Amino acid sequence: MPDILRSNPPILACSNLCKVVSTSAGDLTILDDVTFEVGAGQSLAVVGMSGSGKSTLLGLLAGLDEASSGSISLDGADLTALDEEQRAELRGAKVGFVFQSFQLLPGLTALENVMLPRELTGKAAPRATAESLLDRVGLGDRMHHYPRQLSGGEQQRVALARAFACEPKVLFADEPTGNLDTHTGAKVVELMFDLNRDAGTTLVLVTHDDVLAQRCTRRIELAGGRLVGPTEVG
Amino acid sequence: MRLVLRLLGRHLRSGELNLLVLGLTVAVATVSGIALFVDRLQQAILTESTAFIGGDRILTAPDPVSQDWLAAASRFGLSVSRSVRTPSMAMAGDRMLLVSVHAVDSAYPLKGSLRVADAAFGADSAVSEGPAPGSIWVESRVLGALGVGIGEPLQIGARSLEVTRVLVTEPQLGGGYLSLGPRAMMALDDLEASGLVQPGSRIEYRYFVAGEPQNLAEFDAWLAPKLEAVHRWVGLEEGRPEVADAIGRAERFLLLGGSLGVLLAGVAVALAGRRFSENQLNDVAIMKTFGATSSRVLRLYLGLLGAVALLSIGLGLLLGGLVQAGFAALLANYLPSRLPAPGWMPLMLGAFTGMVCLLGFAVPPMVRLHRLAPLRVLRRELAPVPISGWLTYGSAAGAAFLLMWTYSRSWTLTAALFAGATLALVASGGVSALLLLGGRAIGMQAGSLWRLAFAGLRRRARSNLLQILVFAVALMLLLILVLVRTALLEAWKNQVPADAPNHFAVNIAADEVTGFQMLLRDLGIKPEPLFPVVRGRITAVNDESAIDRIGPEDTGYGIDRELSLTWSAKLPTENRVIEGRWWDPSPEGAEVSLEREFAQRYGLQVDDRLRLAVADTEVEARVASIRELNWDSMRPNFYVVAAPGVLDRHAATYLTSFFLAPDEKLLLNDLVRAFPAVSVVEIDAIVRQVQQIVQQVTQAIELVMVLILSAGVLVLFASVRASMDEREREAALLRTLGARRRLIIGSLLTEFTVLGGIAGVLAAAATEVALRMLYSQVFQIGYQPVYWVWLAGPAVGALGIGGLGWWSARSVVQTPPGVVLRGYTN
Repeated sequence: MPDILRSNPPILACSNLCKVVSTSAGDLTILDDVTFEVGAGQSLAVVGMSGSGKSTLLGLLAGLDEASSGSISLDGADLTALDEEQRAELRGAKVGFVFQSFQLLPGLTALENVMLPRELTGKAAPRATAESLLDRVGLGDRMHHYPRQLSGGEQQRVALARAFACEPKVLFADEPTGNLDTHTGAKVVELMFDLNRDAGTTLVLVTHDDVLAQRCTRRIELAGGRLVGPTEVG
Repeated sequence: MRLVLRLLGRHLRSGELNLLVLGLTVAVATVSGIALFVDRLQQAILTESTAFIGGDRILTAPDPVSQDWLAAASRFGLSVSRSVRTPSMAMAGDRMLLVSVHAVDSAYPLKGSLRVADAAFGADSAVSEGPAPGSIWVESRVLGALGVGIGEPLQIGARSLEVTRVLVTEPQLGGGYLSLGPRAMMALDDLEASGLVQPGSRIEYRYFVAGEPQNLAEFDAWLAPKLEAVHRWVGLEEGRPEVADAIGRAERFLLLGGSLGVLLAGVAVALAGRRFSENQLNDVAIMKTFGATSSRVLRLYLGLLGAVALLSIGLGLLLGGLVQAGFAALLANYLPSRLPAPGWMPLMLGAFTGMVCLLGFAVPPMVRLHRLAPLRVLRRELAPVPISGWLTYGSAAGAAFLLMWTYSRSWTLTAALFAGATLALVASGGVSALLLLGGRAIGMQAGSLWRLAFAGLRRRARSNLLQILVFAVALMLLLILVLVRTALLEAWKNQVPADAPNHFAVNIAADEVTGFQMLLRDLGIKPEPLFPVVRGRITAVNDESAIDRIGPEDTGYGIDRELSLTWSAKLPTENRVIEGRWWDPSPEGAEVSLEREFAQRYGLQVDDRLRLAVADTEVEARVASIRELNWDSMRPNFYVVAAPGVLDRHAATYLTSFFLAPDEKLLLNDLVRAFPAVSVVEIDAIVRQVQQIVQQVTQAIELVMVLILSAGVLVLFASVRASMDEREREAALLRTLGARRRLIIGSLLTEFTVLGGIAGVLAAAATEVALRMLYSQVFQIGYQPVYWVWLAGPAVGALGIGGLGWWSARSVVQTPPGVVLRGYTN
């Protein structure tokens, strides 16, 4: 095992993780016996072709979905032993998200979108935190705009600010540049890594983009639901 | 709580909650507006109506009642007025005329007013008390018959009184035709000196009572056990059944209108709630992703709905107040000049409606939100938790039933509307299944307008079911409203036409009948049917003495009182046999027919045997039928009608009715001179008042109808808009792929026209079911199938909903497809 992993205790670990869904054509295995660990402060890129199970893995690791078998531990908590209610609390306390399709609430302004996680979890000073984060992502002057009034890049920056609003321990990003042009995507990625570094967050990133994957400290590849190839350190 | 308020503010700003707030506000405003107005109208009509009998209640007795009773009435906070009625000869010089003297105290009348004139047949004005001691007021024709003028003396018994005014109308008690001869009114203080009160004279003591309903009820309860068979204790219902009937029906219509309004608003709230919950699916998934627990989401949305309820109820009540003020202002010309202030109950009713609407219609679709899987943020195609059908329809049905019953307090009305709506529901399911049965068409079938439209209908069969149901229920409610209103107004017009008989002639001797009818013809007066009348009593029921059979406590009026009995081979017009059978063509032995309320009051049934005492003889007769009759028809009505052969051998007098225009009243003098023994009872004032009430209420009905119709159109519009989201997306896609405006607008127009047409057919069927029950059970109008509904329902549905669809479709194609698609990819 590479040195870097030994120096960081694992904050996220899964072992023998399987996800099987039943379809009209019989059972379909989406993830098959996946095992790995991520150390605190690391950044991990999950790569693979479309349909290889990347997003399913992300959903399971983040506690958005339930595994068919295997176990996941996030900051010491066994996700497979928690019910949805407890997983929600855990997400609120320790996890941040960035999505390919931004997933901002259309009825809320940029500022309100960023305030929401702190409001939901009852954390202090939602407004002040949101304002400072929006300043940090360069949208201090667009706080009161609605998502439909913002460009794709701007929307993803709002989503980034929102992801960091609750000071998460792990940030999950699902194709964060998938809907953006190269130039805008690069700027968003720069910002994400900056924020990640400043906050000391662990980053788990699903991507097609090799350049983006290269920036991570580690990289794993999925094919047909199984881990393939050696674990690389970037 | 702060988060809830903030969310409320945000959703309001973004417009997502607008439909829900609007729907609830309209519900509360409609209900509270109509309830406030009906409340004021009821109070006003009641006040006006008690003016018909001069007080809230009247006690009549053949002897003066105990002073304790009057003291008790005062103790209960009621005001009391006393009067005495007796027939007497009025003399002027050598001329004499039998008049009906009414000696009144200074408090008379407690309710209503007297109308008097300063010359015979002169212009009249209202005064609030009777003549001062020493003076007498008489009807115009008394002056003509006796040849006296204003200011001249008239002898009543031993007392000479000065004629100071002409009496035009006074409040009077209907029922028995006691007022023999033209009326004369004098002060009660002069009665003793006149010497009219002698042992054996025919005298009726009257005690008028008025006060607050609560006090009246308490006094009712106190007095009831003390009343004897000779006493008659009546309120408006007993005293003037025809007025009570007219008011009762009008109230029921307004309540029907209100109930329909509540249902429509419920549909609107359900639609808006459903739409809001659809829009929230993604938001909830994101919130859950960021750590909101299920219970937190549930609390958040229930809190949000609570805040919406408070806001909408507040707005609705305010608006309801404005609506009723608008009503009052619009109807100012038809209403009593001073409307009483509305009470608090209508406002409570409005708030209650808002809460029940929200709980029954908007909460169920919201409940599923908290069960949503957060994974939806990653996989949009993930099906949302389906809305529970049982929960949604069950709670909506429960809420609708509760609201309609609360509002109408009538099981039959509620059941009738419910039966109609259920039929619409079941039939909508059937139609939707038929649509599905055709199988899903492959692709969008965008090649032609028609194929695109029908493919859309099939593809959306599930959501179309809901839409057809909403359209059908809304159309049904509107059809019912229009039809009931038309039938009701028609029925009234027929019952109290402008030339309805407004005079009764009683006491016509058998040998005078031909002469009397000829004179009427000579005077150009249209004759109405004649009824023989004998006075008699029911002395036994099924061989048990009838003395003990007292009516309900509030009447204190025994079955063995003297009744006007008649006989007839034919069923009198405006009468309807509801139990047993009429003796047509010939009776089976001695039979009688009873009026429904009379039979109910004394617990009499078909096949009971009654012993009737007429003069010195007794005859036994079987109850062959129970009749229902319209008291507001103003025709001679009888509680007891005998078959020919039962009473014929007794010497009868005859009774008839006729119409006289106000300027023909002098003709009465000719009649009275030619037939001095005949008494003419003038009910023209009552007929006029009933017509006036009908007119007032008609105006209110029209207004309520306009209000509900607009609410209905709003619901239809909201429903079309709510279903536009999915169609909008499809249309944007088609346009992106090069579809022309005509194709999209045309196919949407076709789709909505077909939906509207189907809903129209269902609505017509449901209307038919509901009307059958409403007419017979609630409004007591004969049911006549209205065939044009089967044309109008589908036509209005197709044109109206097609039109709304077309209007909405225009905005769909005017928005650039990019905006629509981007709006959903966010």
